Amino acid sequence: MGAQLVTATHVRDWDPGDGRISTSNPGRVPTRSVGSGGPSTDAGAVPPRTHLAAGVFPPDWSEIVAHFREGLLVCAPDGVVQHVSPGAARLLPTVRPGDALTASAVPELAAMATTGERDGDLTHAGRRLRVRRVPLGDGGSGWYVEDVTEAVERADALLAEQSRSAFLARVGEKLGNPLHPDRAAAAATRLAVPTLADVAVLVLAPRAGRAGWFRAVRDGAGPAVVDRGVLAVGGLPPAIEQALSGAEPHTVDWLVEQAAGAGWLPGPAEPDRIARVVPVPGAAAPVGALLVTRSADRPFDEGEEALLRAFAARAGAALTTAVLYREQTRVADTLQASLVPVEPVATPGLRWGTAYRPAQAGLRIGGDFYGTHVLADGGVLFFLGDVSGKGVEAAVFTGQLRQCLQALRRVEHDPARLLGLLNDALLETTQAHGQGRFATMVVGVARSTPDGGAALTLAGGGHLPPLVLRASGEVETVPLRGMLIGVVPDPRIGRVDLRLAPGETCLLYSDGVTEARGGPLGGEMYGAERLVEALTGCHRMPAAALAERVEQLACDWLTDGDHDDIAALTVRADGGAG
Amino acid sequence: MASTDTATSHLVAAFPRFLDCLAEADEYAAVDVALGLLAAGVTAERILLELVAPAQAQVGQWWASNEWSVAQEHAATHISERVVAAVSSYASPRPVRGRIVVACMDGEWHALPPRLVAEVLRLRGWHVTFLGASVPAAHLVSYLHRHDVHAVALACAISMRLPQAHRMIEACQRADVPVLVGGRGFGVDGRWARRLGASWAPDGPTAASLLADEWSLARPPEPDLAHLTDDEYPALCRRRAELIESGLADLRERVPAVGAYTPAQVDSTTADLGYIVDFLAAALYVDDAGLFTEFVDWLVGILAGRGVPSAAVVRTLEHFAGLLRDFPRAGRFLAEGRAVAEAPAALSGG
Repeated sequence: MGAQLVTATHVRDWDPGDGRISTSNPGRVPTRSVGSGGPSTDAGAVPPRTHLAAGVFPPDWSEIVAHFREGLLVCAPDGVVQHVSPGAARLLPTVRPGDALTASAVPELAAMATTGERDGDLTHAGRRLRVRRVPLGDGGSGWYVEDVTEAVERADALLAEQSRSAFLARVGEKLGNPLHPDRAAAAATRLAVPTLADVAVLVLAPRAGRAGWFRAVRDGAGPAVVDRGVLAVGGLPPAIEQALSGAEPHTVDWLVEQAAGAGWLPGPAEPDRIARVVPVPGAAAPVGALLVTRSADRPFDEGEEALLRAFAARAGAALTTAVLYREQTRVADTLQASLVPVEPVATPGLRWGTAYRPAQAGLRIGGDFYGTHVLADGGVLFFLGDVSGKGVEAAVFTGQLRQCLQALRRVEHDPARLLGLLNDALLETTQAHGQGRFATMVVGVARSTPDGGAALTLAGGGHLPPLVLRASGEVETVPLRGMLIGVVPDPRIGRVDLRLAPGETCLLYSDGVTEARGGPLGGEMYGAERLVEALTGCHRMPAAALAERVEQLACDWLTDGDHDDIAALTVRADGGAG
Repeated sequence: MASTDTATSHLVAAFPRFLDCLAEADEYAAVDVALGLLAAGVTAERILLELVAPAQAQVGQWWASNEWSVAQEHAATHISERVVAAVSSYASPRPVRGRIVVACMDGEWHALPPRLVAEVLRLRGWHVTFLGASVPAAHLVSYLHRHDVHAVALACAISMRLPQAHRMIEACQRADVPVLVGGRGFGVDGRWARRLGASWAPDGPTAASLLADEWSLARPPEPDLAHLTDDEYPALCRRRAELIESGLADLRERVPAVGAYTPAQVDSTTADLGYIVDFLAAALYVDDAGLFTEFVDWLVGILAGRGVPSAAVVRTLEHFAGLLRDFPRAGRFLAEGRAVAEAPAALSGG
């Protein structure tokens, strides 16, 4: 026997099955060789060539080859198949000894035989085969044929699973972001194409008898184009209605027609189109139904259907969150709107400016407040203050203060007495509710004078003293003191009368401006000196621009986004010009 | 409606009068000039783009060349805003297209250019919400979540704010809303917008046509920020305070006049040192020395107007280069900045 596996004669007539060189075994595919043409019983009929020294017993190659997982073809130098191992015969039943491989019925083998290619992959009789050709010493060739069907399928399944996981991960990432229900629905529909469908339609659970739908259609190689519409509940396809009630419709034959009937398919119902509908689960009932259709070339196998349901679950979670967010923001917006400071109304002879920047950027409200009320005698009551605490609770308290002032100014026009009344009212409320809330504020009344100037009466309750921008360009600090409002009965309230010449401005601001921490080195307080310095020479600025400038100075000073509420209110004696 | 030629001659005639109104901070007269043009048949869009916009550019130049104070510039800008409001209340078409949010980046106070874009879009039928100056990212994102927004237009006038701009662009993109950006901060040709992965529009009409083109809007350029992996940007940000302090100490030591500065002068010097670090950081962020040299050129000009010699800037850039030896890119940018500061007249054209 030869030391090599590679000569045709060595492998001839080996028994495929039981390991013996023996008579035919009908239970197995027999080895075929040139001349035998079938089950062979002539073991040893051809004397083997051997390079081994006499007396050394060679291994039984026929038995060994028969147990290989790889099949083996041996070709003569002229390309004619000399020998077909049992494994090869099983994998390539059409290849028989005596055939020329170049003319083989297996086109990939023929191609390899023609081109001299060494390695090839092919599918034959439902199996995935890998072929490896090795040149033999006698000029012939050995063809090792490996069945890789399972390995390839496992790899394909793994890849499919990986791509599904990746798809769902992407979906989760993309759907987590839009919190607006319409945007979430549009995003979900768009994401379904092309992975799940060529056309995807998301029908939202009906509200007030109408169901909104979003449709994504793949437009060539480009991304899906999303459009939307509304259907009356009566006009919904039955399968959609069924899915909206929570049941997944399994009779799917007529789905394509239903989708076409609803006008969702780009063309008429094509016979080679398939569709599925799944409920999009919500908190209690489904928030919608997802219809997907695609070409029949891509059937929905078990994995694909699981993917569709997993996608619908994610879309449902995103839609539920978005709807919940919408409802909550609607409540929050309504409440905020009642607490947002009201802009001053234009009054003859006086120009107003305001700036407001709450500490919490996502909120429009905070613990600073300002406002104006026109009094019956033509004067304007104005105020700016800051309550203890931050955020929503503080904002609610500012709302109470503003309502108090709104009511009290009907009985009292003098700012100092008004602050006294407000103090009593606050003390009563805070004592009744056991909450120790207090405020600092400046209340003033402004009246324009015939010369184009204005007369101001200011009362202070523990707030930062106002500044006055004089026509000379200088900035004066108004000597206004006083105690906190809402802490003790009968507090000391500061009172100052002042006159603005035409073009002069009075500025009220909150401590968020001067206590802004930052600066180029960080951590330093902005301070009243810097504010006075920065406003010196700004006397010609319009009232609104001045308030904005104060806000900007404070914000520019801040190094990080973290700051207290910032508010400013300016009143400028119009002077009949600017 | 006036013919194009007549309208042009009206606009040309009104321009110097309008500038006078801004210089006098005369809001009423400025509004009258604009309303007069409307009455003469000039379209609202042309008044915004050919009167208000160029006047504002002129104001910006006067401020940059130190002819105008910040307060004057601020007052003029405010008046221009009132003019814009008056013009757009005169012509307010019913919105027939989607909702566009226009906002300034956080920390960005130049609200007039985006306001003009907002008004041009409004005049062209978009439903525009203008969120104003310095909009915090959290505020913008919460707005995007509450409204079905077709796109966001973000403005950034100062290149120093590009890193913050990028965070804001990303926040919008995460909310699945297309973003387009504008403003001088992105470079005259918008090159830093592309670097950050945002579509760019230099003015209102360009923004309008970009917004109408959904295909392009959905395909912003890919961000090109691979250079950030060298971590020079965050490392520089961490050393910001240290650099400024050390820069100030160095100036005190080498420039005797600095020792005698008033607190306000010290503040303003510290602020300038802060700008140098911040522009350098922004230049690192977009990996463009041009961003830094452009700033140095501008700073040298401004300081010259205040009587500060360019040698002080050169000195500071050298000092920073000494402190930033481990920063190859920053070192290169500082060297290029120094070359510009040493020859300011040649580059700034005067």
